Amino acid sequence: MRVLCVAEKPSIAKAVAGHLSGGQVQSVSLKSHIGPSAAMLNIGLLTHAQHNTPEKYIKNYVFEYDFGHPWGRCHVTMTSVLGHITSAVFPPEYKRWDHPPPDRLFDAPVNVIIAEDKTKVADNIEKQARYANALCIWTDCDREGEHIGYEICEAARKGNRTLDIKRAKFSNIERAHILNAARNLIDLDHKQVNAVSSRIELDLRIGYAFTRFLTTNLRTLGGPFEKLVLSYGSCQFPTLGFVVDRYFRVRNFKPEPFWSIKVMHKREGMDVNFSWSRTRLFDRASTIVLYERCLAAKMAKVTKVQEKPTKKWKPLPLTTVELQKMATIFLHMTGQQAMEAAENLYNKGFISYPRTETDRFDSGMNLRALVQKQTQSNSWGEFAQNLVNGGFQQPRQGRNDDKAHPPIHPITYVAPTALSDKEKKIYEFVVRRFLACCSEDAKGVATDVDILYGEESFHAHGVVVLERNYLDVYIYDKWTGTAQLPKFTVGETFEPTEALMTEGKTAPPNYLTEADLIALMDANGIGTDATMAEHIQKIQDREYVCAVPRTARAADGEDDDEGAPTGRGGGSRGGRGGRGRGARSGGSTVGGRGGVKEFIPTKLGVALIEGFDRMNFETSLGKPFLRKEMELKMKAICEGRTTKEAVLNESIRQYRQVYLQSQEKLNILKAACRQYVLQQNGG
Amino acid sequence: MSSELQAQIRTTLQNQGLPVPSLTWIQSAMPNRNPLPPLPALVATIKTRLLAADLTTPNLFESPPPALPSNLGNPEVKEAKLPRDVPVQVLDIENLSKSKWDQVEELEAIARGEQTRGREIIRLPTGNEEDEDGGAVSQNASATTGRNAAVNANVANAAAAARNATHRLVLQDCKGQKVHGLELKRIDRIGIGSLNIGEKMVLKRGATVARGIVLLEPATCTVLGGKVDAWHRAWMDGRLARLKEAVGADARG
Repeated sequence: MRVLCVAEKPSIAKAVAGHLSGGQVQSVSLKSHIGPSAAMLNIGLLTHAQHNTPEKYIKNYVFEYDFGHPWGRCHVTMTSVLGHITSAVFPPEYKRWDHPPPDRLFDAPVNVIIAEDKTKVADNIEKQARYANALCIWTDCDREGEHIGYEICEAARKGNRTLDIKRAKFSNIERAHILNAARNLIDLDHKQVNAVSSRIELDLRIGYAFTRFLTTNLRTLGGPFEKLVLSYGSCQFPTLGFVVDRYFRVRNFKPEPFWSIKVMHKREGMDVNFSWSRTRLFDRASTIVLYERCLAAKMAKVTKVQEKPTKKWKPLPLTTVELQKMATIFLHMTGQQAMEAAENLYNKGFISYPRTETDRFDSGMNLRALVQKQTQSNSWGEFAQNLVNGGFQQPRQGRNDDKAHPPIHPITYVAPTALSDKEKKIYEFVVRRFLACCSEDAKGVATDVDILYGEESFHAHGVVVLERNYLDVYIYDKWTGTAQLPKFTVGETFEPTEALMTEGKTAPPNYLTEADLIALMDANGIGTDATMAEHIQKIQDREYVCAVPRTARAADGEDDDEGAPTGRGGGSRGGRGGRGRGARSGGSTVGGRGGVKEFIPTKLGVALIEGFDRMNFETSLGKPFLRKEMELKMKAICEGRTTKEAVLNESIRQYRQVYLQSQEKLNILKAACRQYVLQQNGG
Repeated sequence: MSSELQAQIRTTLQNQGLPVPSLTWIQSAMPNRNPLPPLPALVATIKTRLLAADLTTPNLFESPPPALPSNLGNPEVKEAKLPRDVPVQVLDIENLSKSKWDQVEELEAIARGEQTRGREIIRLPTGNEEDEDGGAVSQNASATTGRNAAVNANVANAAAAARNATHRLVLQDCKGQKVHGLELKRIDRIGIGSLNIGEKMVLKRGATVARGIVLLEPATCTVLGGKVDAWHRAWMDGRLARLKEAVGADARG
């Protein structure tokens, strides 16, 4: 029996071929137009690679492998594609931008063709399929990978209609894992294929229609618009919308004064600061009245003293979104750079598949063995050794499981010298995160003292760290602000050393950082964990937003709040844009302030979002709702709750509706462009 | 109708801890039905009308009316105690724990039909659709109802979230005298959206008045309920503009 194996990219083909063949592999360059058995005979004669064409990267590996039941021992040819091989296009009569009108693209025919630069890749598969009885897909196990698998099937069927088709399920290219996958082949999941082809078709129709609509209609405004292509994407615009929304929140912000009461008491040589249970009030007179009554009372009474063990939880297993957020905060990388580096590390077999939503390890995984591999490191080897020697703890279980991949974790140890600068940083982060997960929570003792001073309650909190545990390896988390409190006894009264009324001022929120933006996209269903970084990059490439280093503005804000114990504009700064799941420690965003960049929209970006927002509130393209619905529908297709046809019908109808409304209210968009970009008073 | 019946009603109201209206007012508030409903229903009707009334209505109370001492608002007086129980009505409520701008942003988001849950932006259900089909209702009115429903829903959440909030009220007695009330201890019913404008309260004898501000706490302040519809609506509709004006923002919506 002859089996054709096809991976998503050459590095995976090479690694899988290496494992399956046990090293007995022959490689043949793609130029070979002869069958595999002939190729085996002619090895050495066919080693010349072609240059300046993409397929120069592709090799066919020939070897023997026993798949077990039902295929048994086979002659195997292993090759790969380079990502997608097909693309969806409109027929030539839709080439012109002005005619037929762009909204015709909502129901124009869509042809799926072999992409121009992939014809040789597809030819290779078609030819190899002729000699094969079976096809085994080795694309990455996610939605896109499933669709690429389907494209490979189609290409192979052109050469051979009778192929038996299977798929290997794997999430890293470690040897035992690959051998296990080869022995447990499954079927291609056509639901996922359908979800992706719906997404591709919708992106094509919606993207083309709106890009042409925007570009041709706004061109008449003249000035910079004359030569501009205004690209629209159903993820890009909501992403831009978040940036613009925050921009206006910063710009429109009105600072307000607030007042507070701060009580300090000296005891055992320590200054104990008590914070007011009301935190702060936005009214001076009310605060004065309450403050005066504190002073009149003279004595404060201790109402509660509690000492109890406390923990700082170790992090959850690593997901893609979390990796990107952390990389932008601590590793001075963009989300996209982080993903590229992670992808390289995966292709080289050093880490598991970096696109995953899963934050829980399967209980069947041998995590200790993975920890063991890290013991040889100079930096964290000792920590890993301690885990191996009995410190190992099962990681925390998050709530997300995409059922396809485990959390991102190291597969083998690699010396830092073998890696590029960015790969090194990402690898180190992945390993430290993994070891932290397998370690123990940090432990300490928290002391809480409540006092009643007059009628007002105040609170002091102290923490003493007893065991650092995971913090020793996970250098990105800090557990500071730890202070010991002197002894207080319930019922005792004392006269506070100092009681002050303080004044502060609220500060505006910060502009969005990439980590903020990723978190917003994640919470609002914009893009998938794998594509978010691309969308963020794209709105920069389109010059809708620019990334600028955070200015001294943040420092100013701190000065403003000085003297306010609870200060920092709490509600206003953290507020609704603030932190949600994932970032438990308030200190996390502060740690890497040095190189933090913020996104500020360009005039063009503001004009586009404002234009759409002003047109129509329900379904503005600048809001996440429509796109979120689409992502949910993709999920529904994958779960078999709806069909591709139903989704296409419904989504196209929705977007066509928005298109017609936009056309009707085009003047509003134009006015916004005049106002913001051309600086005319058109608004 | 015998005045005995009105006296009976008055006693029942008194036993329920409500301020005691004059017999004349009870007479005027009696339902115009014959035969009259049974006593419990009658008392309920009168109670509802009392709580919905403007306390400054002439002759609502017997003379001398239960008013605040006239020098109560004097900021020179560090501390005084209220000499008697005084019924008051709520004219205004402010959340002093939250910046006005935060409240503005929240109201504006609701006006756009959005609300945030953590980082997630949620589209609020629109209540206007039937109205548009009906066509009879003016668009403005329907938009306002839809929005108010949203405001109320949101406000309920906010009130639950802000358990430690400190509110300041503007209270008015039957003579029309106004005084500030500051929440010294949390009173659960006090909250924007949960406490109505025109709602009635009793400030009890012995309540502390500091620098002309009545300090509210559960022991000396009873919330009776009620609402003056017109005032409440006007207050809700004008809230965003008032907040914006207070922080010096452009108030043109």
